[in-house]
Amino acid sequence: MADYDRRQGGRGGGGYNRKRRYRDDDESDHRPQRRRYNEPPLHVRIRKQLLTLAESPLRRWHEEIQTTAHMVADNYDKEEVRTNFLELVPQIVVEQPLKTPFVAAVVLVANSLKPEVTTDVLARIAPLAEEKIKLGEWRDVKLYLKLLACLQSCLEGDGLFPVLEELFNRAVELQTSNSDDTIGTELVKIILLTIPYVMAAGSSQAQQKAADLMDKTDVIASEPHALQVLIDPHHAEKGEDSPTANSSLIGLLQKQLQNEAVNGWELKCLPRPWQMPLEEIELQEKMENAQKHPLPAIAIPETVVTGPRPLFPEIYMSVYANQEVESVPPVTNVAASLIRDGLLDTINIMDFNRNVTARYLIDVDCYFADGTFVKRATPFDRLRDIDGGRSTWKPEDVAVDAVFSQLFQLPSPEHKLVYYHSVLTEACKLAPAAIAPSLGRAIRYAYHNIHQLDLELGYRFLDWFTHHLSNFGFMWKWTEWADDVELPDIHPCKAFIIGALDKEIRLSFAQRIKGTLPPPYQVLIGPEKEQDTPDFKYNNEHTPFSAEGKELAQLLKRKATDEEIQPVIARIHAAALEQSIDPLVSSTDVFMTAICWVGSKSLSHVLACIERTKDRLLDVGAASEAARLQIITSVISYWSAQPGVAIVIIEKLLNYSIITPGAVIDWALVSGKAGPGGEALSKSWVFELVLNTVVKVTGRVRQVLTSGVADGASDTEVSAMRELFKSMDDALVSWAEGTKDQMMDPAEPMDGLGGKRVELVQRWGERWLRVFRRRSAIEEAHMLATKQ
Amino acid sequence: MRGGFRNTVERLDRPSAYYLNRNNKKNRRNDRNNRDEKDGDTEMANNQQPEEPPEDPLKNATTLYVGNLSFYTTEEQVYDLFSKCGEIKRLIMGLDRFNKTPCGFCFVEYYTHQDALDCLKYVGGTKLDERIIRTDLDPGFEEGRQYGRGKSGGQVRDEYRDDFDEGRGGLGRAIQQTERLRESEKNRDSEQEMREDYGRLR
Repeated sequence: MADYDRRQGGRGGGGYNRKRRYRDDDESDHRPQRRRYNEPPLHVRIRKQLLTLAESPLRRWHEEIQTTAHMVADNYDKEEVRTNFLELVPQIVVEQPLKTPFVAAVVLVANSLKPEVTTDVLARIAPLAEEKIKLGEWRDVKLYLKLLACLQSCLEGDGLFPVLEELFNRAVELQTSNSDDTIGTELVKIILLTIPYVMAAGSSQAQQKAADLMDKTDVIASEPHALQVLIDPHHAEKGEDSPTANSSLIGLLQKQLQNEAVNGWELKCLPRPWQMPLEEIELQEKMENAQKHPLPAIAIPETVVTGPRPLFPEIYMSVYANQEVESVPPVTNVAASLIRDGLLDTINIMDFNRNVTARYLIDVDCYFADGTFVKRATPFDRLRDIDGGRSTWKPEDVAVDAVFSQLFQLPSPEHKLVYYHSVLTEACKLAPAAIAPSLGRAIRYAYHNIHQLDLELGYRFLDWFTHHLSNFGFMWKWTEWADDVELPDIHPCKAFIIGALDKEIRLSFAQRIKGTLPPPYQVLIGPEKEQDTPDFKYNNEHTPFSAEGKELAQLLKRKATDEEIQPVIARIHAAALEQSIDPLVSSTDVFMTAICWVGSKSLSHVLACIERTKDRLLDVGAASEAARLQIITSVISYWSAQPGVAIVIIEKLLNYSIITPGAVIDWALVSGKAGPGGEALSKSWVFELVLNTVVKVTGRVRQVLTSGVADGASDTEVSAMRELFKSMDDALVSWAEGTKDQMMDPAEPMDGLGGKRVELVQRWGERWLRVFRRRSAIEEAHMLATKQ
Repeated sequence: MRGGFRNTVERLDRPSAYYLNRNNKKNRRNDRNNRDEKDGDTEMANNQQPEEPPEDPLKNATTLYVGNLSFYTTEEQVYDLFSKCGEIKRLIMGLDRFNKTPCGFCFVEYYTHQDALDCLKYVGGTKLDERIIRTDLDPGFEEGRQYGRGKSGGQVRDEYRDDFDEGRGGLGRAIQQTERLRESEKNRDSEQEMREDYGRLR
C-alpha cells in the first residue's frame, strides 16, 4: 500500500518515477546499495528487540537479552528511549505474557548497568498493579505481579511477599463471610500462580516465606468450591464420578506447589533467562551485586470487587488425560498449571490477532526451559521410545489442550466460541503435520466421552468439529466410527454423527458432504436432503385443503392483499368446523406452509413474505397456544430435512413476537412434535433451537437490567424468564425421572435397544436439565450482582 | 482507536487498506474541491475556526462487506457461518446488475458493532464453502450497492481475471467475451470452409 500511495501521490515532483531512478543512472554512479537504507531510530530498534525476545527457536536468550539491556542502559539518557521503554515494558507484560520472564531478564541485566532503569520500571508497574486491583481486573493484576515476581532478586527485603500476604488477607475475609464467594478464590489462584515465579527468581531465603504463605492458602485452596459441581465439564452418569471431580484449579495448584516445596522448588519447566551461562560469570556476579530496590507500595483497598468479568472457580481439564504415554504434563506436576496459565492468558488476550495466537501455540516450547517438551511434531507413537526420565510432553498437545479447555469452559469462556475455532484453524494451517494428529486425538477423546460430557459442551464440540472440517475440505476419518452408524439414533454417539452431518451440510451442501463419507454413512443423507426446495404438500391432491393451499400460495406469490387471502382462510375454517377439527390450527398450517413454500428460494424470500403477512401472523399467534404451536410445526415440518433453515425462520418469528419463547420450549420439550417418546432430546438441532431461544430471552433480560431503567418493564421480563426456566424444569424433570406421559404411553414405541430406551431417554433428560438449571442459576446470580 | 493507542501486534479488527485507500482518495478529492471553491477571505475565516475532524463513519459500524464468495454460496450458508459471531439483522446478497444472480459478495449486518468487529477478527480470512472469504468493515448498506459495478454486471474483479475460478464463473468476463468472439469467428471460418467444401462436392 505504501508503494501504491507513493505512486499515486506524485509528490516526487512532476511525474518523476522513483522506481526507475537507479536503472536510469549511468555507470558513474557508485553509491553502495547500503546507503539507501536508513537505520530506524534507536527506540524503534529497542522496541523491535523487546517484542521479539525469545521468539527465535535458536534460543539465543542470553545474547538477545544482553544486547537489548545494553542498548537500553547505554542510551537511557535519551528521552525517546526512556519513555518508549517504560511504556512498552508494562504493555508487553499484559499483552504477551509468555515473554514476561525475558523482559524481566532485560531489566535485571540493565539493573547491573544502570540501576535507574529498574527504579523507573518498578515505579511504573506498581501503580498500574494498584489501579488494576482497584478495578478488579484480576488477570492484569496477575500479569503485573508476575513481572514483579521475576524481579524478586533485585527487590529489597521480602520483595513481593508482603503484597501476596495482603492479597491473601482479603481472600480470607471474603471467604469467611460468604462460602459462595469467588473473588477470594481468584485471589488465591493469583497468589499460587505468582509464587513459582518468585521462587524461580529469588533466593533460597524465600522458601520459608513461601511455605508460610502456602500453609495459609491451603484452607481455601483445598476446600471444593460450592459452585464447582455446576461448572464441571463432565456430567457423570448416576453412580459414577466425574473424571474431573477433584480437579479444581487451585486445589491442584496447592498440591503441585507442595510437591515443589518438597523438591526444593526445582520448577523445571520455568525459563530462567536471568541465569547466565558459565562464560558470563562476571555478568552474573555483577547482576547479583547490583543495587536492590524497594518495591513501591501497592495499596489494596478494604473491599475488592469482581471487576468487569464474572468470576467462577476453575476446573482443570485435559483432553489427553489417561493416555498410555503422557503427552501433556500430569495434573500432579506444576508444569501443567504454569504452562496452561501462560497459554490461556496469551490466547484470551490476543483475540485481536488469531494469527499471532496460533504462532504462540506452535512456538510454545520457545518460552519454557530446555527439555520441557519433546521435539516439535514428534509422532505420538514415538513417545513410547523416549528414554526414561526425559520429557514426553508434545508441545502441540499442550497447546491444543489449552484451546480445548476454553471450548469446554463453563459457564462460558472469555470470547465467542468461534474465536477458539479460528485459533485452531490457524494453528492447523501453520503446522498441519504437527497439529492435525493432536486434534485427531482430542476429537476421539470428546467423541468417546460424549455421553458424559456436559450437554452444552457436547453441542459446542459438534459446532467446532463441523466448522473446523469446513475449513479443511470436510476431511475426517469417518471409517473409524462406521460401526456406530448401526446404533439407534437416540444413542449419544449416533446422535453426534447425525448432528455433525447436518451441520456440515449447512455449511456446504448435501451432495458435497455425501462425497466425503464412506459407504456405511450414505444412508444418513437421504434424497430429501439433496433437494433444494422441499415439496409443497398441498400440491398433492390427497392432502386435505390441497386446493386452498395452492390458491393461498398463488396469492402470496403475487403479493395479494390480505382482503384476497381472507376468503380462502374462511373457507378452510368452515370446512374444518364441519369435520370438527380446530379451524385456526387447520388454516394456520395451510397459510404458514404456503409462506414457507413461496419463500423457499432463499431466506430473503421467506423473510420478505413473513414481513408482508406479519399482521395476520401476529393475530394468529396471539389467538391461541395451539395456533402458536402450529406455526412452529408448519415451519419445521416443511424444512424437516434442513432444520438449519427452520431455526433461522423461528428466530425471526420470535423477533416479530409472532410466536413466544414459551411456545418454542413447549413445542420442543412437551408437545412431542420434535420426535416421539423423548427422541427430540437426542437431536442436536432441537437443542440448538431451545438454546438459541433461551439465550435470546436471557440476553434481553440482561440488556434491560443494564439499561438501568427500574420500571415495570424489567420486572415483567424477569418474571417471564423465570417462568420459562420453570416450565423447562418441569418438562425436563419428567423426562429425567421417566414420569413423562409419552414415556408411559403404550402407543409410543418404547421397545428396542434391548429395553434400554427408557434409560437412554432419562439420561438425555438429566443432561438437558443440568444445562438449563445451570443457565437459570447463572442468570439469578447475574441479577443479584447487577442489583448490588 | 486509530492513531492513539497501539497494541504490540497488529489488530485484525481494523478497516482494510482497500477501504482506507479509497477513503483517502475521496477525502483528498474533497479537499481539493473545497479549496477550489474557497477564495482568500473565506479561507481566512476558516483558518480561525479549525474544522473538526469528521466523525469516523466506521466508529459504530455494524455492517460488513463480505467478498470472494462463490457464486453458488447461498444465503443459508452465509447465515450459518456468520451467526457464530452474533445474530444477523440483515443479509444482502450481491447480485449481477443484469441477471440478478449472486455475483460473489454480500453485506452482513449485525445488531452490534462488537459483533461486527468480532466477525472481522474470527471469521474474516477463514473458509466458507471452501473459499477463503474477505471481510471488511462497512459504513452501511445503501440501495444500489447490492449490484456488481463491473461492465458486464458482476464485480469489477471478475471482468479481467485471467485465472480460471470455477466458483466465480470461470475466467474473467472480458476475457470470456474476446474468446467467444474469437471462437465464433473461427466457427464462421470453418463454416465458410465447410460450405466451400460442400460446394466442391457438389
